[in-house]
Amino acid sequence: MTGRKLIASAVVLALLQIGFLGWIIAGRAAILRGGTEVLLKVEPVDPRDLLRGDYVFLSYEISRLPASLIANIPADRASSADGPVTVRLGKDADGYWRARTAWLGKAPTPAAGGEVDIVGHLSAGWTFAPDTTLSADYGIERFYLPEGEGLAIEQDMRVRPFGVRVAVANDGRAQIKGLMDGDRMLFEEPLY
Amino acid sequence: MTLLGDRLMASYSSRVRGDIERWAASGLIDASTAATLRRDVEASDRRSLSFGSVLAMMAALLFGAAILIFVAANWEAIPRLARVCALFAVIFVGYVGGAVVKSRGHPAIGEALWIVAAAAFGGGIALVGQMYHLAGDESSAVLTWCAGTALAAAALRSNPLTVAAAGIADGWLVMSLVGGFRLFAETAFPHLFVAVAVALFVLSYWTRSVVTRHLILLSLIAYAGLFAMDHDVLQVSFALAAVSVALFAAAVLAPEPVEGIARLGGRLPLHALIGFLTGMAMIQFTFADETGTGGGFAAASAVALAGIAAAVVLAGRESRGLRWIAYLGFAFELVVIYLVTMQSMLGTAGFFLTAAIILAILAFAIIRIERRWAAPVAKGA
Repeated sequence: MTGRKLIASAVVLALLQIGFLGWIIAGRAAILRGGTEVLLKVEPVDPRDLLRGDYVFLSYEISRLPASLIANIPADRASSADGPVTVRLGKDADGYWRARTAWLGKAPTPAAGGEVDIVGHLSAGWTFAPDTTLSADYGIERFYLPEGEGLAIEQDMRVRPFGVRVAVANDGRAQIKGLMDGDRMLFEEPLY
Repeated sequence: MTLLGDRLMASYSSRVRGDIERWAASGLIDASTAATLRRDVEASDRRSLSFGSVLAMMAALLFGAAILIFVAANWEAIPRLARVCALFAVIFVGYVGGAVVKSRGHPAIGEALWIVAAAAFGGGIALVGQMYHLAGDESSAVLTWCAGTALAAAALRSNPLTVAAAGIADGWLVMSLVGGFRLFAETAFPHLFVAVAVALFVLSYWTRSVVTRHLILLSLIAYAGLFAMDHDVLQVSFALAAVSVALFAAAVLAPEPVEGIARLGGRLPLHALIGFLTGMAMIQFTFADETGTGGGFAAASAVALAGIAAAVVLAGRESRGLRWIAYLGFAFELVVIYLVTMQSMLGTAGFFLTAAIILAILAFAIIRIERRWAAPVAKGA
């Protein structure tokens, strides 16, 4: 490869990789800017799993879905297949948003005013028996913290209710906006 | 940069290139001889790793690790937009600067800069994940990094970047298996690795990366062995052993056409023997678990030992490396056979005594074989 050609392909390559990263950043910032904001309650989880390195592990009320909430359980299946789950959230009097209904796959109707659809992921093998709960994840189960600040928050989280403000895009993708210690905003995320 | 480059690259080849220029200028040699000499120096330069280029690559790897760990530390003193811009700058300067440096005749420095840029791309993916608290998708993040590095290797036709992409793919395989990605769900066995390995193997022909081909073959053997272990499937072990035997036979019976396709520097039989021994070991373990000292284990052990002997007879003369793999395999087989069949009958002292006898027999056999073949190999070389 001649020198000029090599430099030209290096420039194209560098711009491609930078563009790729910039495209992801732009997509995430768009959710933060334009998504509907909901407040989700964080539940304490097993303390051993809570802090992994430089992030805290977050488990939400909506991370555990009662099977009775799912409206379209197929009659011929006893357990879940790997795939998306759409959860319709509504705001309660205490300010937290909670699951109203859920569907495997897409929601049949668009969310009404005052409701938001968030799309999560359900892994295979959860039974659909009426009194069981299924565990879903939404890609917002981690909160990265500056090195060394995780332990204190992990301890507080076990004694006080914490909440997470989440922006939800129209297609259901969720993006963490801020970490709340009760009513106090601990970390608020800038767009970039 | 240039000072460092001159220091590192003041190797034999650059000195001899200067000498050729001087001889040509003073009329000692004519222009066509000078061109022939230059080509020869360049060809042998590509084959030999100079001390400087090793140091440059180590520096690049350290620099890349520093970038990744700096991102992980999530240091708030620098605003994250500044961190993003710094990483973008490293990516750009690394790739473009590396190309400029390489085209000016410092290939080792150029390749090292490309490695730094590829590490910065991985750091960029990690930083975006951290900025937006993305959870649960490290597997695809690592694969994206692997794909970006492979793309860079293809665009720049770079051997070290191809090796790096294969290394990232291996890291992904290990992390998938060890459970680094299994935060929420039991993930299936990462069969995607085979597709990644095949793609990188094809890429390695374009980037002329023999090291990548070696690495991928060994990784595929490890993958097959781990798959057989994880799922306890005998068919995979059998297939691994059978494919290895077929490759070995092809490489021994038709060395030239096979080498023309594989282009592994004539080392395909080594990989085939390693694959065969891995497959046979898996079969032996399965039978040892299931039937104790039943006939299946004895048969598999006999086949393994016969395979080792056949490999030494068929290809041992040409390749010292193959002989040593055969010796290691033989020692491994003796230990496995001993542990499975006699474990319960002898005490610790008996084990040490048997180990001593095994080692003595092994040493005697190796010395005999090496001595017998020392002369013809020396003559052939």
